[in-house]
Amino acid sequence: MSAQSGKSQYLQGLRDGLPVILGVFPVGIAFAVIARQAGWSAAESLAMSAFVFAGASQMMAAGMYIQGASLFAIILATFILNLRHLIMSTCISNRMRRTPAALKLLAAFGVCDETFAIFSTAEKSKCSLPYFLGLFGTVYFPWVLGTAAGIVASEFLPPSLTASLGIALYAMFIGLLMPGLTRSKKLAALVLLTALCNFFLSRCMASSWALIFSTLICAAVGAAFPDPEEEKETANDKL
Amino acid sequence: MINSDVLLLILGMTVVTYIPRMLPAVLIDKMRFGPKTEKFLNLIPYTAMAALIFPGILSVDAARPEIGILGGLAAGVLAWKKCSPMICVLAAIGVDLILYTLF
Repeated sequence: MSAQSGKSQYLQGLRDGLPVILGVFPVGIAFAVIARQAGWSAAESLAMSAFVFAGASQMMAAGMYIQGASLFAIILATFILNLRHLIMSTCISNRMRRTPAALKLLAAFGVCDETFAIFSTAEKSKCSLPYFLGLFGTVYFPWVLGTAAGIVASEFLPPSLTASLGIALYAMFIGLLMPGLTRSKKLAALVLLTALCNFFLSRCMASSWALIFSTLICAAVGAAFPDPEEEKETANDKL
Repeated sequence: MINSDVLLLILGMTVVTYIPRMLPAVLIDKMRFGPKTEKFLNLIPYTAMAALIFPGILSVDAARPEIGILGGLAAGVLAWKKCSPMICVLAAIGVDLILYTLF
């Protein structure tokens, strides 16, 4: 069996990542519109998408900025929300065993929900650095281009529409949360608990700190509870 | 045109987002999470999003809480019916657009 060339592995990554484009591009547009509502310039909004490259946390940052949260609180909340990349990156890194560490360091920038979902479920023989870079391309470029498209679009939108776009962030979070909640009653209960916890905490401290505390406290509470369904799942993974 | 506050924010967010992405590549074999830690990290997106939604959604338009509630409800029902997040976003925007135009 001949080894696939780097180029064909890269193209394979692009092909496998194709469906992701449809999901990423519109969210890029939505982010740009919220970023503009936060008062960020076109250059700032674009730079954030190009350098941070983490959709949910960028939306959250724009939302918190609008509500007047401190920079420190926004950055801390970003760190906490993106801690999940630790696990994803560990898994991706393990599947790229023979890649030099320096290249892995660069590739690590491309770790996100989408690249992880595809790379971690791909056949082991496919998992190479060029393949990962192909996947990364199908997320990164639509993300930055979607942001650019959103910046342009927000110039032309009527005020009633830009006002309505304020709900986009929340609707997206609801859309992302729901599949997990319908799968697991415990997760649904935990999400409810977090919302209530945040509701009460935000009455006695700044809402950005309430957000950080309720996120961490409730995740810890959830982790402390045994979950028979999940244990079965991980047991199956090992087989 | 770049505001120094926002520049600082972008820099800070870039650094704190890159660190968890990059650590496993550096510490390749030393990174092992216990099941509890892994579960904690896996739950964070859910609790973070829950906290982001509520009560923030009530103040999408501080003067009109129904804008957030009804838009969120539309997104919730569609998500429950297994629509993609993008459809939920479009529907919620549509509902709010109707509310703003008619009432």
